[in-house]
Amino acid sequence: MIYHTLLFALAAVFALWAVMARKLLVSAIMLALVSVCVSLIFFDFGAPWAGVFELSVCAGLITVLFVGAVSLIRAEDEKRPENRARFYALPFAAAIFAIAAWFYLPAFVEELAAGAKIGSGGGSIGRALWGMRRPDLLGQVLMLAAGVFVIKSVFPRRTQSK
Amino acid sequence: MDKGLLAYLLIPLLSAVIIPFAARTRPKMADILANVTLLAGLANLLWLALRPSMIAGGFADIPGDGLSLLLVAAVYLVGLCVTFFSAYFIEEGLPNRPAYYSLLLVSVAAMTGVVTTTDFFTLYVFIEVLAVTSFALITTDDSSAGIEGALKYFFLTFPASVLIIVGIAILMMTLGSLSYENLRLFMASDAPAGPVTFASALIMLGFIVKSGVVPFHTWTPDAYQGAYAPVSAHLAGIVTKISGVYAIIKLATLLRFFDGRAQALSEMLMFLGMLSIAVGALAALKQTNFKRMLAFSSISQIGYIVLAAGLGTPLAIMGAVFHLINHATFKTVLFLNSASLEKSTGTTDMDKLGGMEHSMPWTSWTSIVALLSTAGVPPLSGFWSKLLIILALWESGLRVYAVLALLFSIVTLAYFMMMQKKVFFGKKTPASERVQEVSAPLLAPVVLMSAIIVALGLLFPYFYAYVKVVAERIIL
Repeated sequence: MIYHTLLFALAAVFALWAVMARKLLVSAIMLALVSVCVSLIFFDFGAPWAGVFELSVCAGLITVLFVGAVSLIRAEDEKRPENRARFYALPFAAAIFAIAAWFYLPAFVEELAAGAKIGSGGGSIGRALWGMRRPDLLGQVLMLAAGVFVIKSVFPRRTQSK
Repeated sequence: MDKGLLAYLLIPLLSAVIIPFAARTRPKMADILANVTLLAGLANLLWLALRPSMIAGGFADIPGDGLSLLLVAAVYLVGLCVTFFSAYFIEEGLPNRPAYYSLLLVSVAAMTGVVTTTDFFTLYVFIEVLAVTSFALITTDDSSAGIEGALKYFFLTFPASVLIIVGIAILMMTLGSLSYENLRLFMASDAPAGPVTFASALIMLGFIVKSGVVPFHTWTPDAYQGAYAPVSAHLAGIVTKISGVYAIIKLATLLRFFDGRAQALSEMLMFLGMLSIAVGALAALKQTNFKRMLAFSSISQIGYIVLAAGLGTPLAIMGAVFHLINHATFKTVLFLNSASLEKSTGTTDMDKLGGMEHSMPWTSWTSIVALLSTAGVPPLSGFWSKLLIILALWESGLRVYAVLALLFSIVTLAYFMMMQKKVFFGKKTPASERVQEVSAPLLAPVVLMSAIIVALGLLFPYFYAYVKVVAERIIL
């Protein structure tokens, strides 16, 4: 229960951070951390396949695409400062949501936990990743390498053009 | 995943990681490492497939299904030609040169992953790695055309990824597994195939978009024209084949098109293949830019492979696999030749070129070999693959498709002869004056590929024996 609550809270904090961050790169990384939290929740609720796919697609692939796109538009982005006043209301909205969740969410989480018991047998994170989806990990490593080389390919040109 | 071929994925990845460090003080190390990695891999693959005992045994001992090995060899061959050509084509002072080679090697590793996996989700992950590297490689050319091509590639191929992932999700829900083998067993049984076929159709539609088949072809001419010429050769030569066409052939065999288990999907695929052949060939006739004409020619030639995959009989699959390999060879030659022309004259506009045969004889003659093979002129390799496809169509009673495929082969010959006449024959234009043949290292990859085109045509019985083994293993 505490573990779930902690993951939900972390996911919410990272999501807020993603919206409020001044730099797009930070937003992309925070979004990846939201996906990591969500995939851990999936694992814990006995849905290792959903967890692995969330980790592969959202935390891996989408993040690399975002980081690649950010590295392409970064020079333009810095020239156009954005009015961010409207985002300051978000922490207050989140606080109100947290108080409401304190009342309503425990019952929902207990219901989910009961469902998790029924669906148990999916195995641990390790078994899901290493036993069932090992080749995907290789794909993830390739994706990370591709992301790094995309940035290395684009940034030197940006630096030179400045 | 085929563990026997895992090293061909891991070693380029390792080299890609080492290159930025090794090239920090010596930029040439990037060229050397990339080329040595691919050359060593190719030599090893050739030994695996073509050692005398293997040929004498009729390729019966070939590891895995045979198709993976063949395609990994094609990936390494085109990759080697592109990296070798790039080493002498791309300017020395390019700041992202090591990253360019690393991206090429990651692309090679991802393609190896695509052809060796036996699971749809893993296939999706590797396809996406390939999409990311292709996008970055197109933007290596920082011009507005390069960025436009990359953005078109992005906006048209990433929705295709959504179709694929939705199809995979539905397949998981209906079949309970994502392995190729389970789909094959399911389609071989008598169970109602509706939802599974629907999921497969979504996945196939995604791969059709990624292949650049008509009517989803609009990204290809801009991407090929906008990218650096060696990158265009890499994309047209092998990337679109592996990221789209290979998966279509694989799905066609898993869905057992040959016994009518997914009749509507099979017919739709054949129709799109025929449409692609026609639209690509007719559009190529009108082009004035060499690279753009080659892009439309690629769309047309991919149509032949898709048409054969849609038919799905063993003979058609043999033709599709053979044409895929042939297309990789002749399109690499033609795109690299367009790069040589661009380097020598500064343009690929065919209206501004003329009489290049006298100043660039090697480029001219290798173009002739490649274009005759593309048009299906005997005894070159393209003739045999087109013959297999047309025979398969005729045998299955699809005579209209067979005749149309033959007629558009003649159209292919027509637009290539027009290109050859405009660019290489006739009188010299101002842009062609004082032009010299490109250096020997830039010619080496195209001469090698042209030799392979001739050899595959002349040694067809051996290659036929190989693709027969492949067709038997992947269909039965």
